[in-house]
Amino acid sequence: MSGLGELDRPGRPGGAGAWDAQSEEWLGGRGESETEGEAPGEPGTPTLARPLGGEELDDLGVPGEQGPARDVPGGVGVRDLSEGDSGERNPKQPLTPRTTPDQTPRKPAPTRRGAADPVKALMHRHRELCERAVDPLEIAAGLEAHGVTDRTAARFRHRDVFSLAEEMYARVPRDDAATPHPDAAAAQPPRAGWAVLALLPGVLCAATVTGLRLTDGRLRLTVAVVGVLAVALGVRLALGRGPLSTPPGTHAWRTPPGTRLWTYWLLAYALLGDGLLRAADDGGPDGLPTGATGGPWSPATAPVLALTLACAPAAWCAHHFAVRARRKLATSRGLEDFADSVQPLLLGTFALFLCALTALLALCGAVLGEPAAYAQALTLGALLLLARLLTVHGFTHAPTLALGAAAATEATALCLDFIGRLPGCGFLATPVETLMDSWGPGSIPALACGVAALILLFHTTRTLTRASAHAPADEPR
Amino acid sequence: MPVRIGLLTEGGYPYVSGDARLWCDRLVRGLGQHEFDIYALSRSERQESEGWLELPPQVSRVRTAPLWSAEDDGVVHGRRARRRFGECYEELAAVLCAGDGQASDTAVTGPTELPAAASADVADRFANALYGLAELARDEGGLVTALRSERAVRALERACRAPGALRTAREARVPELLTVAAHLERALRPLSLDWYEDDALGSVDLCHATAGGTAALPGLLARHFAGVPLLVTEYGVQLRTHYLASADAPPAVRALLGAFHSRLAAEIYRRAALITPGNSHTRRWQERCGADRTKIRTVYPGMEASRFAEVGEEADRADADTLVWVGRIEPAKDLISLLHAFAEIRKEEPKARLRIVGAASGAEGEAYLGHCRALAAQLFPDEAEGVHAVGDNPVSFEEIGGPEAPTLAEAYAAGTVIVLSSVVEGFPIGLVEAMFCGRATVSTDVGAVVEVIGGTGLVVPPRNPRALAEACVSLLRDPERRERLGAAARARALELFTIEQNITAFHGIYLEIVSHSPIHRVVLDDAGDPLPFAAPAEGHVPGRWTGPRTGPTARVVARGGPRWAAGAPVRATTPLPATEAAR
Repeated sequence: MSGLGELDRPGRPGGAGAWDAQSEEWLGGRGESETEGEAPGEPGTPTLARPLGGEELDDLGVPGEQGPARDVPGGVGVRDLSEGDSGERNPKQPLTPRTTPDQTPRKPAPTRRGAADPVKALMHRHRELCERAVDPLEIAAGLEAHGVTDRTAARFRHRDVFSLAEEMYARVPRDDAATPHPDAAAAQPPRAGWAVLALLPGVLCAATVTGLRLTDGRLRLTVAVVGVLAVALGVRLALGRGPLSTPPGTHAWRTPPGTRLWTYWLLAYALLGDGLLRAADDGGPDGLPTGATGGPWSPATAPVLALTLACAPAAWCAHHFAVRARRKLATSRGLEDFADSVQPLLLGTFALFLCALTALLALCGAVLGEPAAYAQALTLGALLLLARLLTVHGFTHAPTLALGAAAATEATALCLDFIGRLPGCGFLATPVETLMDSWGPGSIPALACGVAALILLFHTTRTLTRASAHAPADEPR
Repeated sequence: MPVRIGLLTEGGYPYVSGDARLWCDRLVRGLGQHEFDIYALSRSERQESEGWLELPPQVSRVRTAPLWSAEDDGVVHGRRARRRFGECYEELAAVLCAGDGQASDTAVTGPTELPAAASADVADRFANALYGLAELARDEGGLVTALRSERAVRALERACRAPGALRTAREARVPELLTVAAHLERALRPLSLDWYEDDALGSVDLCHATAGGTAALPGLLARHFAGVPLLVTEYGVQLRTHYLASADAPPAVRALLGAFHSRLAAEIYRRAALITPGNSHTRRWQERCGADRTKIRTVYPGMEASRFAEVGEEADRADADTLVWVGRIEPAKDLISLLHAFAEIRKEEPKARLRIVGAASGAEGEAYLGHCRALAAQLFPDEAEGVHAVGDNPVSFEEIGGPEAPTLAEAYAAGTVIVLSSVVEGFPIGLVEAMFCGRATVSTDVGAVVEVIGGTGLVVPPRNPRALAEACVSLLRDPERRERLGAAARARALELFTIEQNITAFHGIYLEIVSHSPIHRVVLDDAGDPLPFAAPAEGHVPGRWTGPRTGPTARVVARGGPRWAAGAPVRATTPLPATEAAR
């Protein structure tokens, strides 16, 4: 039942130095400590080691120290504190005058006077405990863990450990200057694992696109199917670890299936949607997309390739945001303060990601020789990044809504376009036609994703600037 | 009269790796005439996966809930519920930051007027906030989300910055606020449980919390919601454990959480019908935290006495002049001091031998054991009887199960005097075992030693080898005194520290509580209206007066008046089907 011994074992103070000038001065005039503090068999700390002369009496005068204990029936074998019981007293220790327990500690006292303050000795021995304590009970608990009992407390002229702890708590010198706060938690060593994984979707997608370019016919279909599956798997792996992953063990924080479904739909639309609309405009589509660039329903590979490649900058941005936010958390004084400092960080991270995505789009467009479709891809990328950031920080509701709304808008536009072909329903397709005529087919996903991303950005600046969103992960299970 | 007891545990019984599971198991098995419902909070996933102990038939149901994972029920509070939560949580935060008005702030602000009244007021405010949150969780659900929300953190921040807040709380920064909020969420998880309905804790006659703190929280709520009396047993003080465990946390966190735990402890002690500490050390802490002296009954832990019966009964067959130390080897046991004392003993009694029986625990223990061995070899050279015999060291280190000490009882039996040299000790189990064996003991005055030994052995100050040595020598030289002390120790141990004593004490306490606080149930007639005078006053007298009240027309619901009477009535006298029991 003494399992608490592991928490706080008895031992000597770490150093023998005094904690202030008074303590130091007092230390000089102090004899050897008696009750505890140094393990038997080990030499005393150098500062304490002072020859016990005839004059430098030990005011503690702990009786019961010498001589055998007696078995008092119904009582304790420990000898009581009566000073008159000098029968077995060590001749080296003459009777000492009883000292008053509550001398004012702040009074600059001569050395001899200071030595008559046993509680101060105890405080010096447990000074770390005393300085740290926020509550007398904390000192009491710590003292007990060091083996101080009520009978020990009685030697300090106290009724019990609690009142001794209260005196110690009251006497600890406290400076009202703020205690130094520990610096921000040391940055975790960067793990290469997630960085490599974040590159995986892009690499797989590039391989697939290359495969599509190099093959045709049935083989191309196989490559396309395998490639899509591989990319989906790669994305899952990339989101399963690192800064884009949801914290482990939290049921409610898992990516809801809705979010996943809408994300796939949005990506599929980015790949095929514009081509389909274009084909529909020409009266098609007459068949499934062949994958050839110049065909009637050509898939837009450049934006999708750029988006999958953008997993890496997204992961880096999320990591950057999390680390910096944690650092700000450690340094900010209040919640408002924190919100004010995180907002620019969030917007900056977001802008950084958009820049990276733009560069990737330009690169992919140039390499693949396709139009880069900046508007669609940028808005979609922004939407996906914000949705993921929110999900990672535990807000799953809003991303599902926003992604769902964008996906539904795109689906409605497609449906309207096709329904408009039916006789008498031409008016239904008018808004879609108008949009396509003025800005091209890409305007539909750009509008849908852009509006959703804007709303989500507004939501994000309100939720992710809260301190509770950056609370450290749960305790281990 | 069979009593239906709701046994509340936290990280304990019935889990295989639980704390105090042995005691709970003996209690449940020993009181077969009563019925036990076990409500267990598990502490970790590992604990939950390790499974349960085998449960006796008197356990009619077991309900468990994890403390290690928050079950987010997906409920999002509406505007009104959010406001209600905000009010309760702000009150809670304000109480935590206010300090207790007497201890902490006197040093800074000087003595406050009427500290007793102020602390009673603070206790009431804490209770109101706690029960307000519990009622919210019961009515609306979704407390886990709310406790983690920004609203909670903001409430904490406001309370910390408010005038009159604790000095340490005023320094709280954002990370500390988050830590406190997370800890409070964890500590208040029992509030979100569905245990307080009439078919669960509302239907038991008595809640027995096997520990303070979180384990007793469901009992507190059952008392609040259904008027079930609460019995709290503590073998170690939760508050003290909290203080020791949280020593590394920042000051603001320690201040706020310490305030929370001490308020919770005070509320538990205030509401408990009876409190049973396991020793006087625990009792002192409880009194310090506000427990009423009249409600405290110390019940010593019971230990298996039968395996020491043989050794205790038979005549002393110990090797002459042998000192035995038994225990787990760790620095807190201060074997160094014992070895030095033994060196002194050898000067007086050259034939004395010392046997140290026990295994080291952990790396630290191993290192300490090595240190002790080295010291023993240094202090006592091997010696032989004559020039032709092989030498041997008078100090031997053994383990239970070795050839020298096959069982624990044998180890004690081999000793003329049993020595305990600890500097820190809780409840000294080894000492009680030595007492069961009828051995004379010399122990240091730490922990509950004096309370346990009570004059049937010698007690010396800790860290005093010379006193230890002289006490041992005086016993070694005086066989009569040894025998007298040993017999007295065995008698005392059999009186106070047996399992039977423990179980009988709890049996009596159960009956006492139930007799003082009968559950008032409303008896309903066929139409569902309350039936006045259906339960006569004699019905509350302990013992059966009129036989089982199982009339065909009388339906009974738990107390609570017409509002609850509209719900599904339950029979008070027939046990509920044990749906959750999975033995």
